[in-house]
Amino acid sequence: MAILKNRHDEIEKLCAKYPSRRSALLPVLWMVQEQEGWVSQDAMKEVAEIIGCTAAEVYEVVSFYTMYNQKPVGRHHIQFCHTLACAICGSHEAVGHIREKYGFDEGASISRDGKFSLVEVECIGACTEAPAMLVGETLYGNLTPERLDEVLNARN
Amino acid sequence: MPAAAYEKVLLPNIEKNETEWLSAYQKGGGYTALRTALGMTPEAITNLVKDAGLRGRGGAGFPTGLKWSFLPKGVGPRYLAINADESEPGTCKDRPLMEQRPHSMIEGIIITCLAIESQQAFVYIRGEYYNSAKVVQKAVDECYAAGILGNNVLGSGKRVDLVVHRGAGAYICGEETALLTSLEGYRGYPKLKPPFPAISGLYGKPTIINNVETVTNVPYILNKGVDWFKSFVHEKSTGLRLLCVSGHVKKPGVYEVPMTYTLREIIYDICGGIRNDHDLKFIIPGGSSVPWLLPDKLDAVCSMEGLQAAGSFLGSAGMMVMDHTVCPVWALTNLSAFYRHESCGQCTPCREGSAWLHKILLRIETGHGQEGDLQMLRSIAGTGPGTGMICGRSICALGDAAAWPVSSALNLYWNEFEEHVKNKGCGYKNKRFWMNKAGNFVNDAFAHKPTWGHAAH
Repeated sequence: MAILKNRHDEIEKLCAKYPSRRSALLPVLWMVQEQEGWVSQDAMKEVAEIIGCTAAEVYEVVSFYTMYNQKPVGRHHIQFCHTLACAICGSHEAVGHIREKYGFDEGASISRDGKFSLVEVECIGACTEAPAMLVGETLYGNLTPERLDEVLNARN
Repeated sequence: MPAAAYEKVLLPNIEKNETEWLSAYQKGGGYTALRTALGMTPEAITNLVKDAGLRGRGGAGFPTGLKWSFLPKGVGPRYLAINADESEPGTCKDRPLMEQRPHSMIEGIIITCLAIESQQAFVYIRGEYYNSAKVVQKAVDECYAAGILGNNVLGSGKRVDLVVHRGAGAYICGEETALLTSLEGYRGYPKLKPPFPAISGLYGKPTIINNVETVTNVPYILNKGVDWFKSFVHEKSTGLRLLCVSGHVKKPGVYEVPMTYTLREIIYDICGGIRNDHDLKFIIPGGSSVPWLLPDKLDAVCSMEGLQAAGSFLGSAGMMVMDHTVCPVWALTNLSAFYRHESCGQCTPCREGSAWLHKILLRIETGHGQEGDLQMLRSIAGTGPGTGMICGRSICALGDAAAWPVSSALNLYWNEFEEHVKNKGCGYKNKRFWMNKAGNFVNDAFAHKPTWGHAAH
């Protein structure tokens, strides 16, 4: 145990909430990601030991759920919605704006300075506030170029 | 017809966007319905909900009381799973409900537990709703501290525990059996039914799955009575409904309305009409899966029966409104990218079908359409529910959901699709497309997928 070494009690409390220890797999993976920003293969091995399953089983789950980052992300992780309700309100333009203004090389998911990472995601449930994005854990809706810059500059 | 003045109960102060914590909730009469329910038999609560005609608010509209009564007698433990994996594009009502009225949902959950004789409930909240999970967890903690949850609910000696569980970004987990598999700690793969979850659900035990909005209605049915609930009625749709209107209306938002308004009243009166007074092009009335409607259906009543008569569904009540600048081919390509991405990959008709639909649409949209493409789309998606190569052939309804918009758009806009193929692309001036700066086609709908991910189609 290296990554979650100081969190034994927290983990056991979590596992005790469920009739089956395996149910704690997603929450424990969230603990890893909240602490580390992503879920490494070493973390998967550790989580497997905690849950009592194989590392392959953990990987099977991590690779299914798109929110678990399998690679390190930027200091501020942006998840921009590009599904229809946001798309008809300009999400593709907004993503272009972010890529251009905040230093993303073509095809790169992390900005050159490592401050921001950007993924386009499917519907984030903020359709009536389109276009919308999550920065870290915070939702920002009704984005205009001005508001987008305001939000991102505050974290720059 | 426009309803007479009515009291909004689910989200009365939505524009304030404040969380109503325990003390404020109790000051407003919160948890009195629970006290009433503690003095009732499970059958009496179930019958009340049956009499009120409450139907599921998640999408399928199944009668809630009837669902509860499917549990086999004398088999336990029983579980209640609350579906807060609100992921259907266009739908965003459960998020404000959980973030503003967490206790109203929790009260509904405890009463439902009493009705189905369950001692353990789970709320499965989609991963993207970080804040909802925090708010609900804090409200649950308040309830444990106040003796509302735990082994002695309000001193009654009854036990109800509630666990807040977060998903991690998978649309499929809104499908009830996939939700349970995910809650068990596995990939969110749906299961074949039967057996239905009421017989064999979470951990193989009898389980009821209800939507957030569905259970939140329950305390109000107890407090205000069946007659109040049934005073909002269109055919078999009773009660108030949270309608999410997004897209090109002047005032998008979540509106709590009786299911008696027409689409015209919703779009033009409640939402102020179309932005810039543009023309209305089409409406997706009940979440992205449902068939599209043209402006000639504006007088359809926005209830489960009303929209079905118009050829669509009220579904999850996520209404997306498009003005005349939206190219239907482009819009459909966007939606099929969604279904391709969200197909769990377990069964072939959905995995392959959703991918083929998207591939063909993408090439039509980007000017590479071929003769026969439209016929091929139609042969895969069918001409309506129950036809084609996907509908009714997949383990869960995601396959149908991927096919319906395609068959519907082809039925409504065949000429525009033909023109895209013939003219090698889209004639819409402000269409948005997936091209990089060099003008090369980039499939960025998948750019964020890990190269070793589950759906590397």
